[in-house]
Amino acid sequence: MNGTAAQPGLTSQYSDEPRARRRCCVWSVLISSVDADELRHLLAQCALGDRRAFETLYRKASAQLFAVALRCMGNRDHAEDVLQEAFVRIWNSASQYDAGLSAPMTWMVSITRNKAIDQLRKHREEPLSDEQAMALFDPTPSAHEQLETHRDATALQRCLDTLEGMQRQSIVTAYFQGASHSELVTQLAAPLGTVKSWIRRGMERLRRCLES
Amino acid sequence: MNYLQPELRRALAADYAIGLMPSTARRRFEGLLLDDPGLRAEVAKWQESLVGLTSSLAPEAVPERVWLNIVARIEPQRLHVPPRRPFWSGMRVAALACTLLVAIIVGVIYNRDTPAFNAVLVADNAQPALALQAFERYLKVEPLALASVQAGRSLELWAIPADGIPVSLGVLPDDGEGRVELSARQRELLGAKTTMAVSLEPKGGSPSGKPTGPILYKGQLASL
Repeated sequence: MNGTAAQPGLTSQYSDEPRARRRCCVWSVLISSVDADELRHLLAQCALGDRRAFETLYRKASAQLFAVALRCMGNRDHAEDVLQEAFVRIWNSASQYDAGLSAPMTWMVSITRNKAIDQLRKHREEPLSDEQAMALFDPTPSAHEQLETHRDATALQRCLDTLEGMQRQSIVTAYFQGASHSELVTQLAAPLGTVKSWIRRGMERLRRCLES
Repeated sequence: MNYLQPELRRALAADYAIGLMPSTARRRFEGLLLDDPGLRAEVAKWQESLVGLTSSLAPEAVPERVWLNIVARIEPQRLHVPPRRPFWSGMRVAALACTLLVAIIVGVIYNRDTPAFNAVLVADNAQPALALQAFERYLKVEPLALASVQAGRSLELWAIPADGIPVSLGVLPDDGEGRVELSARQRELLGAKTTMAVSLEPKGGSPSGKPTGPILYKGQLASL
């Protein structure tokens, strides 16, 4: 819909920090076509209160962030609320964005996920709808399988593949569902100690693999 | 807990980045992040590692109402109400009234700033409550019989175009009288199919950009 359509062959990065350059393939071609320098510039303008820059930023990033919200929430209405909250937060805290610390899209994805996690926690206090329960227990449309369809040998996917099945599944579940340890115990049907060690070891291996 | 231990810091940053912390622990951790650049860097590294999980998600078209809601949230409209003056003598009021009348007549003749639409908003019992006139760049709001609003509440004015999604035009002053300046986007919303509504909201207007309280008055715009 806006500039975010896939442009095969483009491997430009959100961040030109050396750390990010080393992992040059973490980003898929789908979103790497949104230029990191431009997003960084727009965020700086937002920090100065430039509404026009904010609209441009929204037009460039909202479709990708909506996909993230949708993947977390599994429901369009809730995902719209999350996206709205996320962009209000992005506008209000643009001045806190630290370009030396993270790529602009990473920062915005983190804000969106945090808003989604807040919402999921709120909804979890209510009984789950059938749709949500299905999303939790139906293993078919998992992020990992979606990754398989985009097997462009990106660094993260390669590293995820080095993990054991349950390490991988617990990380992906935690990332998109924002579940606490005890909730993961229920979802993954394993004892707390086991789930913790899957995630801890999985995360450490992932980091080592990405940094190697 | 000793937050200086590197393994613990790394593990906590990982838990935070992936979303494992319960709400209270998360808030506490965010407090620590504020004064600890090293910890922020640790979290940023984890976030950068994990963000690739979202990279296979195809962009999804976002309905335009999301943007309109965001704009309503970040640009709260306020009515411009002149401050109240102490009581003036009858002569001065009369003189002022005459001057205003002349100014209005001259203004109307030279600017032709006539309202394009008007509406009378009625309560559930069909009692007229509020008159609106939509001019080129602003809305004029005049109370007819407004219910009194409790302290801590505000009346918020909404335009509901044909698509049915309410857009905030601003919070009414307590006595209901004033002008709402219209942005270009808001002007586009106003037409013969637009319903105008007033809802009861927390002080300062709806926090969510959508009506949260009951609709007290409504009415449709009509062209003159």
